[in-house]
Parts: sequence; structure tokens; C-alpha cells
Amino acid sequence: MILNPAVMALVGGAVVGAGLVGGAALQGAVILRRWDLQSGSARQLELERRTALVSTLVGHALTFQVLSLFLFVFTADALAPQFTGAMCAAGSLKADPHGYPALLLMLGAAVAAGLWLVVDRADGRGHDYPLIRVKYALLLLLAPLVLAAAAWEVAWFRGLQPEVITSCCGSLFSRTGRGVGADLAALPPRLAGAALFGTVGSAVVAALVFLKRGRGAVVLAALSAAALVASLAGIVAFVSPYVYELPTHHCPFCLLQREYHFLGYPLYGALLVGSGAGMGVGLLSRFREVPSLVEAVPAQQRTLAKVAVLLLGAFAGLVAWAVLSSGLRT
Amino acid sequence: MSPLIEARDLHRIFHQGRPDQVEAVKGVSLAIEAGRITVLRGPSGSGKTSLLALLGAMARPTSGRIFLAGRELTSLPERFLTDVRRRTFGFVFQQFNLVPGLSARENVMLPALPLGGPRAALERRAEALLAQFGVAHRSRARADQLSGGEAQRVAIARALVNDPQVIIADEPTANLDSALTASFMELVATLRASGKTVLIASHDPLVFGAAIVDRVVPMRDGRIEAGTP
Repeated sequence: MILNPAVMALVGGAVVGAGLVGGAALQGAVILRRWDLQSGSARQLELERRTALVSTLVGHALTFQVLSLFLFVFTADALAPQFTGAMCAAGSLKADPHGYPALLLMLGAAVAAGLWLVVDRADGRGHDYPLIRVKYALLLLLAPLVLAAAAWEVAWFRGLQPEVITSCCGSLFSRTGRGVGADLAALPPRLAGAALFGTVGSAVVAALVFLKRGRGAVVLAALSAAALVASLAGIVAFVSPYVYELPTHHCPFCLLQREYHFLGYPLYGALLVGSGAGMGVGLLSRFREVPSLVEAVPAQQRTLAKVAVLLLGAFAGLVAWAVLSSGLRT
Repeated sequence: MSPLIEARDLHRIFHQGRPDQVEAVKGVSLAIEAGRITVLRGPSGSGKTSLLALLGAMARPTSGRIFLAGRELTSLPERFLTDVRRRTFGFVFQQFNLVPGLSARENVMLPALPLGGPRAALERRAEALLAQFGVAHRSRARADQLSGGEAQRVAIARALVNDPQVIIADEPTANLDSALTASFMELVATLRASGKTVLIASHDPLVFGAAIVDRVVPMRDGRIEAGTP
């Protein structure tokens, strides 16, 4: 295990976060079984008091979950010089078999945590705990993902040994290589670019339509999810070579480095939060008819739709700027 | 007529599960009608202050429910309960609890500040309330410079600044002489005349024996005494 402040912060945060979410999930199981707002029993009142605390703690733990994804990638990038052959986070993550599964689990947990926070916020706007059962049922689904992400993250850090020989991003994301990275790099660039701009543009248009007419929330959610997947693939197959001005270099992690103005952070941040906001609009549409939320949910949906327009628009703008300002011409 | 406040089987336990556990309120059910003066009467330790805190949404019961105009209060998340408390209840405390460094007017304005609104209008409202209770000339005096009677009137003005439906007073005459107590009860009569519901906890005979009191609820050992209507 390599110890540095970022690793210790991530391990500590993962353990504490997993503990909080795991504990809250147990609490959620009790609430799902015993919640009865009509009752004035001591048990019910205790649950009502406890849920406010649990919700606050889980909210903070899951916010950290979202932020720690970026700290995790930053740390993986910063550790690269410790491994022979690694040039960036791609090599660091490859230095131990838990690395890439940990990244995928953390990405999935971050998206799911963001959506849970959306539901939790809506629940807090109703005077009668309108989504409490939904919220804790979702937490029961989310908790294993958060626990698995924490376990793999810690396992990756534990498995890291200095001077281990690993692969560089040039081979992991090579068009002629094998594996998911190579498959993504081998996608036709124009098609990947079209899919990126097409899905992101469609999601922005859907968000604008929702803001104007209050309809199409589910379409917006589907397009936002599609934009997230297509954009992650598009960054590898289409965007990266323009940024590096090298047609054979497809690494999605070198974007995070100083040489490329840390472009990856705003790029991935805008994409993740923007697409999450779009998905949140669709998720909330299920709760528009809840009596105590008839005003709060549409207002929250509008805020999320504006965030989606702003951040997905910024993402598309950044990609366009990276391509148009590049010295690479294909 | 349906009651303004209805309590159903309220229990309030302090330090639950510890050796020093105390059950201050034991299964109290009570209905408070709007526009009337109700006094909770009882000796020290009878649970009247604890019950008052529950009815005024300042504390949550260990079990039982409270309804305000038919709306259930005890399950409300804190942000909603705070709003109900600010807009529905005005409190007069035993020690008056004026903030010492602030002027009388600033003390009166204090409960209205979290609700927002133009400051100039709030200042006018505070001055009008101080004038209503005959202490307008002490508006700029610091709270710690007020006499007992003046502090009492400023505290009542403060309780009214958000135009609450219900005024709750906990032992409001405990530190007052007979003349000031009589003066306080005259003020309470004007509150009732203006349509307010008044709920007082007191063991002062000058309070629960006053002619203007509509109903006395005797309490002992955390319970309403048997035979009380």
C-alpha cells in the first residue's frame, strides 16, 4: 500500500461513508417494515426523529461519494510516477487488478448517489415524509453498490506496490489492442463524435422543451443517460486525439493532466452532473402527483433541467472548443 | 366546534432508558378551544411546563399526537414545525428571556426577523405594539435597563409581533407583585378580546382564579386530575 494524504483521505472517506450508508440501509429496512405515520407510538416518533438524522448523514456521505470519484482519479493520476510504465491514471489503475473495477463501481455509485440525493431533497420538501419508503428502498439498492465501491477502492490501494511494472495508456487505449479501452479507441471517430454531439444536443433540446412546456421528463432522462454513455465513449474515440493532437492517442485520463490544462475535470464534471440532473428530472416525474409535492417537485425539476441545459451545454462547448482549436486535422 | 389544539395520549419522558429517567407528562389528552383563556394549574413538577412546551410545538412528545386546527403537528419535519411555531404561537417566558444587549424595540422585532419582510415596516409594527402596551417611551432602552413591569410588557409585545393565533405563557407572573399580576391579566383580557387563544401555565391563584379565565385544567404528577371536563 502506498500512503500519501490523498490515499488516506480516500480510504478514510470510503470506510466512513460505507459505514454510514450501511447503517442507514439497516435503518431503512426498519422503516420499510414499521413506518406508520398514523400511529403516535413511541417507536414511530423515534423513527421520525431518527430519519432526519439518517437523511442528513447519508446526504453528506453520498455527496462525498460523488466528489471522491474525482479525488480518486486525481490520486490515480498523481501515483503514476510510482509505477514503471505508467504515464497517467490509466497505468496506475492497471497496476492492480482492482483498479478498473473500482473506478467503474465508483462511477456507478456516484451516479446512483446523485439520483438518491435528488429523491432525498424532494422528500424533504413534503411535510408528511412523502417519499420515505421510496427513498429507503432505493438506499437498500444503493448500499451494496457503495459498499462494493469502497471495498474495491480499498483493495486497490492495498494492492498497490511501488515499482510494479504496468501498462501505459498508449497500449491500454490503442486501436489495435484488446480490452474495453481498445474497443472504445477503435470506434469510428466520426460516428463517435456524431453520437456524442447528437445525444448531448438532444438532451439539451429535451431539457429546453421541458422548461418551456413541462413535458418530456422521461425522454430527457433517457437522452441524458444516453449522453453519458455516448460521451464517455466519444471522449476516448473522438475527443482525445484532438486534445493531444495525436491521432493514435486515445487516453481518457491524460486529459486530467497539467499539460492539457486539466481539461478533464471540467469536462467530466459537467458531463456527470449535467447528465445526472437530466436523469433526475425523469426520476422525479414519478412523484409529481404526490399531494404534498405538487408544487415542490415541478420546481425541483425545473432547477434540474436548467442545470442539465447549462452543464451539458458547457460540456458540448468544451468539446467543440477542444476540436476546433486543435492542430490535428483529419 | 372543533378544538384549535387537540392532544391525544401525550407522553413526555426525559432521559429515557437512563437511571434518572423522568416521565413528565403521562398520557394527557386535552382539547383547547379557540379564542379562550385556558390555565394549566398545578404545583411545581406537575408537568404543566412540559405540556405547554409540547402544545406550543417547542418540544416533541415521546409518544402521542398533537393536532393544530386538524393538522397533525408532531410528525412534521423540523423545517415545517419551525414555520408553524413562528407563525402560530407567541411565547411569554417566566424570566421573560429578553436579550440583554438589545433595545426593547429590537427584542420585539427578533421573532419576526427570520420571516423576512421590510425592516421599516417591522420597526413600525414593533413601535405600535410597544405603544399598545404603554412602553413606547422605553423603545430604545436596553432590555437590562427595563423594570420588571416594563420587561413583562415588552415580552408580551414580542410574543405578538408575528400576529400569532395562540399566546403561550409559562408562569408569567412568577416574578411579579400583585399589582403587576393584575395588570398582566388585564392585558390577557385584551388579547382574548382581539380573538387570540391564550394558554397559561401557572400556580398563582391571582392567575387561575381570575374572572377572565375560561377554563382551568388542574394537573398533578404529569396527569390531568380526574374529573376535569
